[in-house]
Amino acid sequence: MHQLKQYWVAEALEKDLGDPTQPESVMSFKSVMELDEREEFPEKDVEWLYNWNLHHYHIPVEYGGELKSYEEFVAFVRVLSRRDLTTSITFSTLFWSGLVWMAGTHEQKQKLAKFIKDKHGAMCLAYSERAHGSDLVASDVQATKVPGGYLLNGEKWPINRATISGISVVLAKTDDSGGARSLSLFVVDKSEIDPAGYSNLPKIKTLGIRGSDMSGIRFDNCFVPEEMRLGQEGAGLELGLKGFHLTRTLCAAFSLGSADTALRTVLKFSLGRKLYGKTVFDIPHPRTTLVDAFLDILVCDCVTIAGARSFHVAPEQSSVSSIFVKYFVPVTVEKLVQNLSVILGARFYLREGHDEGIFQKVVRDNAIISVFDGSTVVNLHALILQLRQMAKYRAKRNAATYEGLRSRLETRFSLEAPLPPCERAKFELFSRGCDDVLQGLEISLEHLYDLKTDSSVDAEVLQKLITLTSAVLEELDAQDEFLASSGFEFGHDQSPELFELAKKYCTLHAAAACVHMWIYNRKVLGDFFAKGEWLAICLNRLLMTFRPSSGIIPSIYIENVAQELLKLDRENKMFSIVPLQLAQAPSPEEKTHAASELQLQA
Amino acid sequence: MQLQNSSSKPSEDLSKNNLQDENMIVENSPAEAIQSWLVTKLSKQLSLNAKTIDVREPLTRYGLDSIDAVTLVGDLEDWLGCELPSTLLWDYPTIEKSAEYLVKEFDVSAAVSSVASSNVKDASDDKTEKVEASSKSSGWGGLWNRISGS
Repeated sequence: MHQLKQYWVAEALEKDLGDPTQPESVMSFKSVMELDEREEFPEKDVEWLYNWNLHHYHIPVEYGGELKSYEEFVAFVRVLSRRDLTTSITFSTLFWSGLVWMAGTHEQKQKLAKFIKDKHGAMCLAYSERAHGSDLVASDVQATKVPGGYLLNGEKWPINRATISGISVVLAKTDDSGGARSLSLFVVDKSEIDPAGYSNLPKIKTLGIRGSDMSGIRFDNCFVPEEMRLGQEGAGLELGLKGFHLTRTLCAAFSLGSADTALRTVLKFSLGRKLYGKTVFDIPHPRTTLVDAFLDILVCDCVTIAGARSFHVAPEQSSVSSIFVKYFVPVTVEKLVQNLSVILGARFYLREGHDEGIFQKVVRDNAIISVFDGSTVVNLHALILQLRQMAKYRAKRNAATYEGLRSRLETRFSLEAPLPPCERAKFELFSRGCDDVLQGLEISLEHLYDLKTDSSVDAEVLQKLITLTSAVLEELDAQDEFLASSGFEFGHDQSPELFELAKKYCTLHAAAACVHMWIYNRKVLGDFFAKGEWLAICLNRLLMTFRPSSGIIPSIYIENVAQELLKLDRENKMFSIVPLQLAQAPSPEEKTHAASELQLQA
Repeated sequence: MQLQNSSSKPSEDLSKNNLQDENMIVENSPAEAIQSWLVTKLSKQLSLNAKTIDVREPLTRYGLDSIDAVTLVGDLEDWLGCELPSTLLWDYPTIEKSAEYLVKEFDVSAAVSSVASSNVKDASDDKTEKVEASSKSSGWGGLWNRISGS
């Protein structure tokens, strides 16, 4: 087991699911591809996960569940996602229970915990409508007040798991005058309403996650009792947005699982295929592409883990911490998958061969993640609105601010530090200018200087890290300077330049997250991590998105990363800063035993 | 620190009928100063003529959507120097109502008195439309690269 306890659940799940390249494993590549071909809902796999008690990890400890930390959560979702995004995305609609843990009454929470645990219940999130995607305030579904409750009318579409779920979390208009207080949320338990009042819409054909229940739900004068309303009347938009903070961060786990499989599949191909008398891996261009993909994953790891931990350490910053993760990780992984596809050549397009054609499924499935729970554009726009305040706050930092920053950074980034419970009630719609990761960059730079006297750190690497981190800081200062002197207007016509600026901010944030992660975990995450060469390359690559290459990275650093990639692959470990042991292909005796186990469970 | 608002729109810009209200907005009252600040801010950041902004109309009428309204609360916090509910402008969706609520629930005297003086000081300034009211004043422009808590 890994020495970090928060990864034990993921490791145990990984082990019990088995090696996905073995056809007899649960959620094996063979079986998920067959389901995908038939566009079939992964009912058995979902049931297997319930029997494994994975649903307990969606219920907070105080309501009888096992949900302790979102870092742990992200790790096990990643384990599922590396096998199959269809099942992972299907099972993970349990995310939305988070809204009830955030704003439900004690009774609502107890009831939901019971529904999930005893009935193996699941929910869907019914926000979208045909005419309104991101514009929640424009929702047309009505909830008209009547004695004892509300009458729901209207249609939600396209909704993941709208049909195959017992609860629909519905955003509906409770006030015709419009505005931000015109919406309310309802946790509608289908078993407690008149079946004549609702109907489900047909399954929608999709490019990827083809077996998922992508459908819709329609209400016709459907009476829902008052106690199904979540929070106050008019709290719908506020809760809806705060719920997104949570799920946007968790979406990164889908991407990271995809990335692992994409890289593993292509690496296997490139090690096995010979061209011009050597393996594909030994040809510089594909080798660099593979190494770059690995480095991208390491960066995304730092961003995601920091984001997941921030819910516990700085819930008030949920609005920005979630944007940084949701913008950066899915688009980085989309690009990484695209880059890797080049190595496979025409094979990337095949629905067979090379681990059952799983790469092509990853391409299709992964493409939707950046759209979930607020698209890339929605996220960047939300960040644009907060950039000025972050710049202002940064300019105002003082001794007291730094003290708070220092302590929060340490808890957020030291993976050995226990996390406080997540206080969901402290989630905020805007972060009042606070963003610990970028605003604490000077603190980590100071740490880097302090390490000059530490003999365990390679002086040359350290010098490069100082140079590169200083460059990140320079870019950040320049960006803030620009923000201070530029005009600002509200509205939906933000300039394309501002979107680019927001992207750059996310890139700088990713760089800062990597630096902090290294500073606080040098002695925790193994020799490769500790040496810091990977960090120097990552910082350089991130900076290269807006600076010319500095030529600061010796080729030996890159070669060492290539060797680490090969080592992790050989040892069958997750491509990650926390390289979990992945399931091993069983021996013949184990296979016989496993088969009888499966029969027992079925 | 105080964000000095360089409002170049004295409160006289508020149309007369907005001021004949049962809430009795007295000339130069704190509520009026806040209204004036909000009118100025909105006119700048939504490219509107301040004279066309009616303090009793819902802010959404002027194109300020829900998420923009949250951001504007942040600017208000900076100016008033106190922490406000992020949904303030959702719950009090007109300039008049939000100003009234602020005066009732928070100590806004320091900011309001400084805006009065800056109104006088900046009255002759002819700032360009594109420059955001607070950011180019002695507010945060002057703070740049200075890490201090003042």
